[in-house]
Amino acid sequence: MTDPLVLAALLAWGTLVGLDLVSVAQAMIARPFVAGAVAGMLLGDPAAGLRVGVLMELFALDVLPIGAARYPDYGPATVAATVLAAGSPWELSLGLAATIGLLVSVLGGWSLQRLRRLNAEAVQRHAAALAAGESAAIRRLQYAGIARDTLRSAFLTAAGLAAAWVADRWLLLDRRTAVALTLVVLGAGLAAALGGALRSAGRSPRRRWLAAGLVLGLALAVLL
Amino acid sequence: MNGRAHALLRLFAVQGAWNYERMLGVGIGYAAEPLLEDLKVADPVRHSEAVVRSAEFFNCNPNLAGLALGATVRAEYDAAPGAQVARLRAALCSPLGALGDQLFWAGLLPALVGAALAALALGTGGRAVVGFLVVYNLIRVWVAVWALKTGLAAGMGVGSAIGASWIPRAVPRVGNAAGLLIGFALPLVAAWYLRPLGTIRAVVGVCLVAGAGVVAGRLFGARMTGSRFALIAVALTLLFRLVAR
Repeated sequence: MTDPLVLAALLAWGTLVGLDLVSVAQAMIARPFVAGAVAGMLLGDPAAGLRVGVLMELFALDVLPIGAARYPDYGPATVAATVLAAGSPWELSLGLAATIGLLVSVLGGWSLQRLRRLNAEAVQRHAAALAAGESAAIRRLQYAGIARDTLRSAFLTAAGLAAAWVADRWLLLDRRTAVALTLVVLGAGLAAALGGALRSAGRSPRRRWLAAGLVLGLALAVLL
Repeated sequence: MNGRAHALLRLFAVQGAWNYERMLGVGIGYAAEPLLEDLKVADPVRHSEAVVRSAEFFNCNPNLAGLALGATVRAEYDAAPGAQVARLRAALCSPLGALGDQLFWAGLLPALVGAALAALALGTGGRAVVGFLVVYNLIRVWVAVWALKTGLAAGMGVGSAIGASWIPRAVPRVGNAAGLLIGFALPLVAAWYLRPLGTIRAVVGVCLVAGAGVVAGRLFGARMTGSRFALIAVALTLLFRLVAR
């Protein structure tokens, strides 16, 4: 965690992940289980990255990123949460790490709203050039928008890393509280994913497919 | 018409300047620039008008934006009246948004995430992550290429082209697959976390919290997001532990 090279790599990864959410590529490296897996590898603890990433993914499954909807930014948040969980037994660290991750993701959602407002203000400033059909103005707006999102993602990742460092240093939980937090956040994550799936299914035949999947998954989980 | 490859690349950053004023408009204008280059030589006045229209308000799912981009650019080259091009653009917002969101955000993405999570829980490790990225990106790049090509070929007739395409048929199938795979993954993921803990109390506790979360979500609707419920549950747990000490 204190190795400057690892910190720089995490900051770069968190920034890329933040950009991927909306602005550039949308290659899905912003999905928490992808972001967490890579962050875990950078920290030398890929298993911790997967544990944190999959848990945060359950919350991300609750989100439908439609149009102007406000939604949390789970990518950089997962990078920060992985930093907190790496190197310690996951059943003790996962709850606190995910809590910090969820708080950072809310901050990320707010920062996305702010970014969209700044982009709108830039469009208003360039209204005359846009009305005159200047291609250069469109390019300037596009590059400036991406630059703003790069800064947003970098700041969000840095804030997340700082929060993880503070939590690691000062938020010391006893064993029972730490395990209880892990179980509570896991239960909440499962509720979020199931709630999202139920909402997407509505009253369509998809609900029956969801039920069939649950039965199959449960049977396999019991058998294995 | 040149510039298709450049336009395609630019479509992958179509939300780069997403804003509440024009939503995807600026991104579409940016992606249209290379496609409109030939018009600059052939008809500079029309080119200038087309550039203005290309960056006006527009919104849809980014993965299907190529359909609107291709169709409006083709209409500009076909010298369709400007007002008609603007109407086409406005008319495409809702269907491309609804179809794209159902196909990608509520269908393909949760389906592949569900498959990857199930694979992870069954012990495939990082290979599930790589597999997810490869499959998702192969599909969405193919869709982007198809969308731009179809839009450019159809022009003002893009609505019929979309209706006759594979998209309306694929939406319910992909949605059903998403339901099945998410449902399949959730118990496996729960077992992946709970089995190492090895206690019935942990299983019961997690099930109780999950049940409360689903009920809270149904009672309070969109106000009770998954992360909000989690943060409230964490705060209550910490309070309870503090009092219990």
